[in-house]
Formats: sequence, structure tokens, C-alpha cells
Amino acid sequence: MDRNKISKWLKGPAKMGHKYSLSAIYFCTGCGIIEVPPVITARWDAERFGVIPVASPRQANLFLITGYVSLKTLKAIIRTYEQMPDPKYVVGFGSCPINGGMYWDSYNTIKHLDKYIPVDGWIAGCMPRPEAIFIGVTHLWTLIDKDMAKGYVKYREKYESYRKNQEQILGKLEWKPLYPIRRRK
Amino acid sequence: MNKELLTEILATFKKTQGYIEKDNRLFIETKKEIVPALLKYFKDKSFDRLAMVSCVDRINENKLEIIYILTSFCLDNPLNIILKIKISRNEPELDTVIPIFENAEPYEREIHELFGVDFIGHPRLTPLFLEREYEIPPFRKDFDMRKYSEELFDSVPFVGDEK
Amino acid sequence: MRELELYFGPQHLGMVGNFSITLSVEGDKIVNAASNPGYLHRGFEKLMEYRTWSQNFPLVCRINVIEPDSMEMVYAMAVEKLANIEVPERAEFIRSIYLELARIGSHLFGLWAYANMLGFDTVAQWAMYHRDIILDLFEELTGARVYHIYINPGGVRRDFPKGFKEKIVKTLHSIGGCVPDYNNTFFENRLFYERAHRIGAISQEEAIKYGAVGQPLRATGIAHDIRKVEPYAVYDKVEFDVPIRENGDAHSRILIVRDEMIESVHMIFKLLDMMPEGEVWNRTPNPFKWNIPEGECYVRVESSRGELGLYLVSDGGDKPYRAHFRTPSYTHGLVILEKVLRGANISDVGNIMISLYVIAPEIDR
Repeated sequence: MDRNKISKWLKGPAKMGHKYSLSAIYFCTGCGIIEVPPVITARWDAERFGVIPVASPRQANLFLITGYVSLKTLKAIIRTYEQMPDPKYVVGFGSCPINGGMYWDSYNTIKHLDKYIPVDGWIAGCMPRPEAIFIGVTHLWTLIDKDMAKGYVKYREKYESYRKNQEQILGKLEWKPLYPIRRRK
Repeated sequence: MNKELLTEILATFKKTQGYIEKDNRLFIETKKEIVPALLKYFKDKSFDRLAMVSCVDRINENKLEIIYILTSFCLDNPLNIILKIKISRNEPELDTVIPIFENAEPYEREIHELFGVDFIGHPRLTPLFLEREYEIPPFRKDFDMRKYSEELFDSVPFVGDEK
Repeated sequence: MRELELYFGPQHLGMVGNFSITLSVEGDKIVNAASNPGYLHRGFEKLMEYRTWSQNFPLVCRINVIEPDSMEMVYAMAVEKLANIEVPERAEFIRSIYLELARIGSHLFGLWAYANMLGFDTVAQWAMYHRDIILDLFEELTGARVYHIYINPGGVRRDFPKGFKEKIVKTLHSIGGCVPDYNNTFFENRLFYERAHRIGAISQEEAIKYGAVGQPLRATGIAHDIRKVEPYAVYDKVEFDVPIRENGDAHSRILIVRDEMIESVHMIFKLLDMMPEGEVWNRTPNPFKWNIPEGECYVRVESSRGELGLYLVSDGGDKPYRAHFRTPSYTHGLVILEKVLRGANISDVGNIMISLYVIAPEIDR
């Protein structure tokens, strides 16, 4: 750790903690997962950036959506995302979660991921290179520093809209709402 | 050898046409009643491997075409048998071939889901891939994928934009 | 004891890939297993009906992310067969070398997953690094790491760059030099034997009955390989062995993976020596006005996991009328996995699944 940043540390220790220990949940949502094993192994070594994969959503605070999201996966993604503790950051990896990418006219993949869960950053490309993940992570650091990675707060505030969108596409969801839903008159 | 096989098939089974294409492909067209007997016949002739079951929507003829592809585990016979039958598109029904080839099970399940063909005697015709229910099975030609996905996904508003 | 239902995946410790299995368990023992695919279903074959013949090349390689190259090859072969396109000899050599490199890369990825799952982290790191330097070769040849889109109908996109042959030889030597290390730490290690022996065993009769292909079939003693049975590209001009084993368990399957990689390396060296000079691409018509005559065909290639087939139908238009991929993981994941898991322990699910080389995107398409 850079010694010059020690004043920054003292200002927001929790923030620095979140920033430099991103535990990415190991969930293979799409074909982008092929670039994650090289990134976490010896050659590219994501641990330099404090990113390690963890197996359980309860331990994770970074959710890499690696590639296209089909309807069945979207259900699993929402469940996993709701199980993660705050603060949590979502990064869309690849073109497909941004606007559908290659599968823009497919009947079974969603086109805009941020309609269903909040996304803090995107890494474009098909397939993005391992370096792009690191650039994405360093950008996420900046966002955390500037209090701009507030997707989880948005999710809490706009939970009704998110839940409505989710139910519009998936039908009735079988689990209870994460946050209480206020009834409008 | 392959020509002899073809003559024997045409002699044994009525209502069956067939021809051999180059690169060891034997195409056979038949009726759906004969399929189990024909598959059993091939299995005894050491074509004991069902490579796949496929379906083509021939919308102009108002028929669905079911295709069985058989190959052999024997190393010296590279022949591929492509068996085609046509069934009605409005009431597609067919006997399952699981008693003969056990690995037909997921293929038939997939065709049931994507083309809406009913396989009589199949133990579990539950959804395999899809999450939503579709009025027209999605792989049929009259299912307009672009229109459907536009209507479904674009109707969901961005969070913060909606009124 | 009471029977319970256990949902295994898609987000689970022991699961590789976006796939899920519903297990009925009695204590630690699995009574019944039902595969639950569809998490990666994109409707590829429907998407292909909406795109022209050449637009489909970037699409088909995305069906299987581990080894996209055999997907390109099988589609190119089908198009060439329907449209009667000849391929220059040099292009066929380049294709073979390219496919063998892809096979090594894919096997190394499988080895990473398997070693990681068994707890051999060192070997996993080596395998992933070695796959990465093969991806560097692809990057130099095609410009991309994962999706190459290199094979065109009528040949390949471009010739080998200058000095590329030497680079292939150098890379393969550096990987081949590590084979004794791999053997010592993994393949001939007593621990690997203990952890994989008799896990997920299938007999020869079962393999035939359930239609196994690739390593699960060859591990039971049948030397079935499309490169031998129905040679494509230049596999009839080069000598190679098809490695087989007798036991049919996870141990045999992984050893076959090693033997195949070594065989592929030797084959690439032979092919590089035999390579002729000449053109690499017979030009195809303008892709926007390219109509392929009516017809249908079934072509098959040997991918790293077994037989990969494509049934392609053309109605004389500029788009495919119907395409159906027969992918190797399909029967492995949906039929054999269910049968083999019956009676196994919960702790062996990952072991069995990865040793059968079940790749989810290939099943769902």
C-alpha cells in the first residue's frame, strides 16, 4: 500500500477496505467465464488487484456478470444478488449484458441487464481481454472512492420498480421481496 | 456393401424410398408407422448408435419432418443413415423410440419443447430449456423471433425512466 | 432414511459452468439425478435462420466457448459440401494444425478444471498458463484470444505470418518439456489415482447403449475417432494413434486426455513438415448475394470432447433453412451423467461431471 495515501485511509477506512478486497462471486453466467480462470491464475493474477473468487454469495461483494443472460439465468442472478451483503458492486462483462450484443434478437436472452438489477460498471467487448478486467477493476476503485458505485443503494430505494420489471419478464417470483414494498394508493 | 443394404431395406420395408449420396450418406424416407421396426432392423445390423434426432419445419407443405441419424461404432463402416419421416404439422404425434435407443430421451424432449411434437410413451415431457411459455413453439417457422423479442424486452422500462 | 431433494447449481461450490442438477439424496448417497440445463439457451439454431451464410460464422463459434474452432470447422464443412466449394491443400493443412492447437488448448482447460477440483492447484496453474501461451499463438494468427473466426468457407482467412511455424514449434516444445513434471505431480501421482480410480465408471455395454463419444467411449476400450473413421481436412495423410484405456472411470478418461495432447503435439510437428506452399483461400461469391442450392447434409468432426455433428438444410436461399448441432456434451450431460450419478456420493458429483467433460453452453445452445 502506498504510504502517501495514509491520510486517505484514515478518512474512510471502510471504503478502502471494500476497495482493495473485492471478493468476486464464482458464478459462470455466460461465455465470459472463459477469461476468468486465466485472470485468477498465475499469468494475470487478479490477486494483485485484490480480486479473489469466492464460492458463496454471502462472502462476496463483487458480482461479475460474465456474458449473455438468459431468462433462466436471470432468476439465478437475482437470487444470488439479493443474497450478497451490502456494499455490493455489479460489473457487466462483455457486450451482451449491455445491449444484447450478438443475441440482440434472441427470444431467450435479456437485452439490458440494468433494467433488472443495478449495474455499477461495464466492460465492453466480445470477448474482453484480461487486461480489460483490470482496467474495469481500477475504474471501480475510482467509483468507490468518489461514492459513485451506489448500485446497492439504488436497488434499495427503487426496489419496487426493479421487482416490477423482474416480475414482468419472469412471471410471479417465488421468493419474498428483499425490501418491504409500499402499496401505492 | 452399402448398395446391398439399401436394396435389402427397400425389399423388406414397403412405402420406403432411399438413395445413397457421396461421402457415405444413406438417405431414407419412410412413413411414421415403420420407424420403430426400421430402427430395430438397423440396430441388429450393427448401426447401434443414434447420433441425433432432429426436426425441420416444412411450413410450405404443412408438415414437420423428423430426422433420425444413425451411425455405427464399428470402425470399418463410416456409413451415416439419415432416416426422414413427415408428420402432420397441426396435430404432431409420434411414438417414442426410447425403448430402442435410450439416448433419444433428451432429443425428443427438446423437440417437444421447441417444435411442439408429442411423443407418445415418453416418460417426462417436461420443459428442458425454456423458462417462459410460448403460444407457438419457438423453433417453428411462423414464430417471429424478432417481433417477439422486441415486444417482450423493449416493453420493460429502464428504472428511473418510468412514469 | 428420508429421501431429500438437493438442488446442485447453477451457483454452487462443486459446479463448473452454468448448469444444474437436481439430486434426490438419502444421506450421502444419490438415489436419483435429473439434469436441468437451459441456463445458457440462446436459441442459436433459430438465430442462424435469420442471418446470411457468412454472417453465421461469427455466430457459430460462440456456441462453445472452450473450443470454438471445431464449431467453425463443422459449419464451414457443411457449407462447403452444400455449395460445392473446393478447399486448397495448404488451407487444409493450416486448418488441421489450427484444430489440433485448439484441441490442446481445450484439453488444458479441462485439465485445469479437473485438477482444481481434485485439489491439485499447482497443476491447475500450470495448465492454465500453458493454455494461455497457446492462446498467444492464436492471437498472432487471427487477432483474437478466444473467438477466432478464422476458418472461412473455401479455406482460411489468412496465411501463417512470417516466422509463425518456428513459434508453434517453440511453444509446443516448452509445453512438452513440462510433461515429466505433469506426470510426476499429477498423472502418475498416487493421490490422483486414489481420488479418481473407480469414480464414475461406465462399462463398454453402457457406453454403447447410451451413445457415448469421445473420452468416455475411448476409456472403455473402443478406439472410435472421427479423424480415423471419416477423415476430414488432412487427417488421412498423417499418422497418429487413438489412445484407449480399459477401465472406463475418471482416471482412465483423464489419462486419455493427456495421451491425446501428446499425440496432437506430435501430429502438429508432422503436419508442419509436410505443409505445401500455395493459396489458402478459394474466393467465395459476394456474401450478400450468396445463395446456396437446395439440399441437406450431415457432417461431423472430432472435437476435443467427441463427435460434433451438424445437420444443415438449405432451401436455396441466402440463409440456412435449419441447422441442428449434435454436440458431444449433449448425451454426456443429459443421459450418461444422470445414469452414472445414481449410487454415487454427493462429494463425487464434481469429479464425475468434469471427468465426463460436460460443457453447459454446448448442451443448451
